[in-house]
Amino acid sequence: MRYLRAALARLAGFFTGSRGDADLRDELQAHLDMDIAENIRRGMSPEAARRQALMASGGLTQAAEAVRDRRGLPWVESVVADIRYALRALRHSPAFTLVVVITLALGIGANTAIFSVVRGVLLKPLPHHEGDRLVYLRHSMDGPGGAGIAFSVPEVRDFRTGAPSLAGIAEFSEWTMTFQDTDGAVRLRAGLVTGNYFEVMGLSPVLGRLTEPTDDGPGVPAVMVLTHDGWQKRFGGDSSVVGRQLRFDGKLVRVIGVLEPAPFFPGRAEALFNMVVSDHHISAFMVEGRTHRMTEMIARLAPGATLAQARREVATVSTRIQQEFKDAYDPASNHRIAVIPFQEVLGERARLTLWLLMGAAAFVMIISAANVANLTLMRGVRRQHELVVRAALGAGLARLRRLLLVENLLLAILGAAFGVLIAIGGVRLLTTFAERYSPRASEITLDGVVLGFTVALAAAVALVLSFLATLPREGGFASWILAGAQRVSGNLRKQRLQRALVVVQIAVSVVLLAGAGLLTRTMMRLSDVDTGLRTEEVLTMQVSLLTQTELLTNPAADASAKERYDRMREEIAALPGAVEVGIGSPVPLRSSDIRFEVKAEGKALAVGEAMPRAELRTANPEFFRAAGIPLLQGRPFTPTDRVGSGMVVVINQTLADKFFPTEDPIGKRIAWTGDVLRFTPISGDWRTVVGVAGNTQDGGLDAEPRPAVFMPFAQMLAISGGIVIRADSNVSALASAATRIVRRLAPTAPIENVMTVAQYKDQSVSPRRLNAALVSSFGILAVLIAAVGIAGVLAFSVSARTNEIGIRMSLGADGGRVQRMILREGGVLLALGLVLGVGGAFFTARVIRGLLFGIAPHDPATFIGVAVMMAAIGIGACWIPALRAARIDPAIAMRA
Amino acid sequence: MADKLDVQQGTLALMILRTLDVLGPLHGYGVARRIEETSKHRLTLNYGTLYPALLKLEQEGFIKAEWRQSENNRRAKYYTLTAAGRRQLAREARDWHRTADLIAAFLAPRRESP
Repeated sequence: MRYLRAALARLAGFFTGSRGDADLRDELQAHLDMDIAENIRRGMSPEAARRQALMASGGLTQAAEAVRDRRGLPWVESVVADIRYALRALRHSPAFTLVVVITLALGIGANTAIFSVVRGVLLKPLPHHEGDRLVYLRHSMDGPGGAGIAFSVPEVRDFRTGAPSLAGIAEFSEWTMTFQDTDGAVRLRAGLVTGNYFEVMGLSPVLGRLTEPTDDGPGVPAVMVLTHDGWQKRFGGDSSVVGRQLRFDGKLVRVIGVLEPAPFFPGRAEALFNMVVSDHHISAFMVEGRTHRMTEMIARLAPGATLAQARREVATVSTRIQQEFKDAYDPASNHRIAVIPFQEVLGERARLTLWLLMGAAAFVMIISAANVANLTLMRGVRRQHELVVRAALGAGLARLRRLLLVENLLLAILGAAFGVLIAIGGVRLLTTFAERYSPRASEITLDGVVLGFTVALAAAVALVLSFLATLPREGGFASWILAGAQRVSGNLRKQRLQRALVVVQIAVSVVLLAGAGLLTRTMMRLSDVDTGLRTEEVLTMQVSLLTQTELLTNPAADASAKERYDRMREEIAALPGAVEVGIGSPVPLRSSDIRFEVKAEGKALAVGEAMPRAELRTANPEFFRAAGIPLLQGRPFTPTDRVGSGMVVVINQTLADKFFPTEDPIGKRIAWTGDVLRFTPISGDWRTVVGVAGNTQDGGLDAEPRPAVFMPFAQMLAISGGIVIRADSNVSALASAATRIVRRLAPTAPIENVMTVAQYKDQSVSPRRLNAALVSSFGILAVLIAAVGIAGVLAFSVSARTNEIGIRMSLGADGGRVQRMILREGGVLLALGLVLGVGGAFFTARVIRGLLFGIAPHDPATFIGVAVMMAAIGIGACWIPALRAARIDPAIAMRA
Repeated sequence: MADKLDVQQGTLALMILRTLDVLGPLHGYGVARRIEETSKHRLTLNYGTLYPALLKLEQEGFIKAEWRQSENNRRAKYYTLTAAGRRQLAREARDWHRTADLIAAFLAPRRESP
C-alpha cells in the first residue's frame, strides 16, 4: 500500500516536475535564510554567516538534484536524455552508423525471412483442432516406387478395429477430376474423403457445411467441399458458389461448403468429394480388394493414447494381417507401416533444406554481429576520451553502461527495422521456393512470433555489443584518464577479442562458401544429367479425353478416344516444322502412377528376392522417335501391333538388365502379375519383348532409372493421352498451333503440361538452383563482410601503431619490411580462420549430405577452391592497410 | 569533530517522525536543528540528505506539508505528522528497540573473563 502510494506520487511527480521545482527552490532558500539569520543572531558578520550556512547546506543544486531523483521517475527521464544523446552521437558519426545499420539489417533481414519460413512450414501449430494429435500412416515396401504405397479399404478396416489408440481414421484418396465450366474444361486435383474426414482432422468450414458420415456409401447424392485454395483459385472467393451444382466428370455435384485454409498431404487438393462421386471407389473392387491400395490414412490419437502405443498396435495389426493374407503381402518385399505425427510428415521434404538455410542465415548473423562488434570496439577506443570526461563530470559506471546500451539498442533497432523491410521482400520469394517443398507454404507470414524473434535478435546483439566495451572499475577512472589519450590501441584483451572475431568471421565464411560450393556443384551436376532423350527439341502435352471412370468401364468410349488421338497426331504432324508426332502415356520424363509386379517366363526369383515391379507406359509406333528415346535392341511398335494381333512390349534397359542380364531379351516373354490385376482391365497374359529402349530419367534427374514396360497404345487403354512433338528447331513455336488443333478436335478436354523437354528438365533443377543461389548469396555476403572486417581491424591496428612503425622506420626498417609485418599480422588471422573453417566445413558437409547429388560431401575440388578463394580475398583485404603502413612517413608519425 | 557520524540508512526517517511527534508541525530547518541538537551535534544534516527523506515520508503518506507563516514572519513549508505517520513511528520505534536490545545482548562483555 505504502509503496503503491509512493509510486503513484512519483509518477505524478514525473509529470508535474517543473511546478515542484519552484516550490523546492523556495523551500531550500527559506532554509538557507533561516540558517543565515541564526548565524547572525549568534554574532557572525553577514558575510561569514552566509558562508557558514552555505557550507553546511552541502550545495543547493546537489540537494535539488537529490530531491528531484526522489520525486519523479529519474530513470525514465535520464533514459530519454540518453536516447537524445545517443541519436546525436550517431548523427555525428554517419559512416559508422551507416555501416553498422546496413550490416545488421542484412544479418537480421536474412534471419527474419528464413525464420518466417521455418516457423510457417515446420514450427507453427497446425490449423487443425489439436493438430498435434494427428498421425499419418505410411505403408511402404522394398523396391523402386515402394515408398508410400497407401492402403486398401480392407486394410483400413483392420486398423479401425485393431488399433484402439487411433480414435478415428480419416480416409483420403487422391483423384483427378475434370471440371466442366462454361469456358472449357480443367483438370482439378481432388481428394475423395470419408464422411468422418473433417471431424477426425479437426477442420471447420468457413462457409456452408462439411461432409458427415451420412455422406458415405452408395446411394447418397454426390457433394463436394471446396478447399480454401480451390475456392480462391477457381471461384475467386465467391461465396455464392455454395449450394450450386457443378459438373465434374459429367456428374452434377452440389457444393456444400468451403473449408478453412489447411495443408493437405500427400497431395494438394482443390476440392474434396464424398466417395460416391467415383463409381470405382464404391465398387466391390475397391471396397473388397485387399491389394487395391488407393487410400491414405490420417488418424487422431485417442484421448490419453500415446504415439508409442499407437505404433505398437499398428505393428501388431500389420503382423497379424501379413500372416493371415499371405497372397497380399509378398514376404520378400518387407511390408511395413510407419506412424508419423502429421505435422512432421508435412515438413519432411522441407526440413533439411530449411534448417540448412536457417544455419546459413545464422552464420551470416554471426559474421555481421562480429563485424559490428569490431567496429564498436574500435569506436569505443576513440571514445575513451569522451567517456572519461563524462565520468569526470559525475556519470557513474552504471550510467555509462546504460548510455552504451541505449546507443547499441538504437543501432540494433534501426538495423532490425531495415532488416524487416528486407525480409518482407524476401518472404515472397521464399514462399514460392517453399511451395515446392511443403504444403504449408501459404502459412508463411511475418507474424508476431517472427517479429518477436527479430526483436529478440536485435536486443541480444545490442546487449552483447554493450558488454564488449571495456569500462574501468568504479573509481578507476583516474588511471584511465592518464592512460586514455596515449594508448589509443586499447588494451591487449580488447585486441585479442578483435582478432578472435576476425578469425571467427573467416572460419564461418569458409563454411558458408563450402556449403554454397557443394550445392552449386550439385545443381550443375544435375543439369548435366543425361535425360536419356536424344534431343531437347520436344514438346509434350497431356490431353485427357476420358474420365477415370469411363476409362475403366466404357470400352466404346475408349475406342473412339483412340481414334481422336490418332486424328490429332496426323493434323499436328502436318504442321510446318513438326518432324515426328507420337502418342503415349505418360509423356517422357514423367513417372507413371501405374506400377505392377512383373515376371519373366522361366525365371524364378531367388529365395527372399522381392517381386520386381515396373512402370506401365504406353507408346504408339512413332512415340520413341518423336520423344528421342533410343531403341537399343529390337524394333519399336508398328501399326500391326494392334488389338487381336500378338501381344508385344518394349522394355527399358533397367528391366532388361534385371531379367536377361546375359541373354538377348528379344523374343522372350514377360507378364504382369500380382493380386491387384484383378481390379484392373489389364490381363496377366504373356507378352513378347520386341525391343529394348534406353533408360530415361522419368523419376527426376537425381533418381535411379526404374524398370519400365511400354505397351502398344493400341493394345492398352487410352490412359491420360500424352502427345509428343519433335521439331528441327524451336519446338515451342509449335505449341499454340498444336493446342488449337487439339481444342478443335476435343473442345471439352482439358489440356495440361504444355511443356518442352528442356522446361521439364529445368523444373527438376530449379529448386536446387534457388537453394544453391540462396546459400551462395549468403556465402558471398559473408565473405564481403569478413573482408571488410579483416581490413578494418588491420587498418585500425596500423593507425594505432603509427608511432611504433615510425620508430621502426627511423631505425632502418624500409616500407617493404613494414608491409610484410602487417601482412603477417593479417596472414596469421587468415590462416587460423581457414583451418577452423575447413574443419567446420567438413562437419557441415556431412550434415547436408542428403541435399547433394553426384558429388562427395568432402569433394576436394570444392574445398580447395573455397580455401584458395577465401585466402585470395583475405590477402587482398590485408593488402590495403599494409600498403598504408608502408607509406607512413616516420618524421610525421613520431611527432604525432 | 572526530566522532561525527553518518546518518545510518533508515534511521533518519525515524528521527524525523519522532521530532515532528515531539515538537508538532515544523519546517525543514527546524527538523534539522532539532536532530543536530538531540544528537549533540554528532550528526549534521545537509539539504541533500534531509529533503529527499522528507519527500519520501510525504510520498508514503506519513507526513504532510503546507506553506505557513513562521514565528518570525517568514514563509516556510511546515511538516505535520499524519495518523499513519504516528502508527509508523510506534512500529519503527518498537522494532528499533528490539534490534538495539538484541545487538546489545550480543555485544555485552563476556561473563567469565580470564
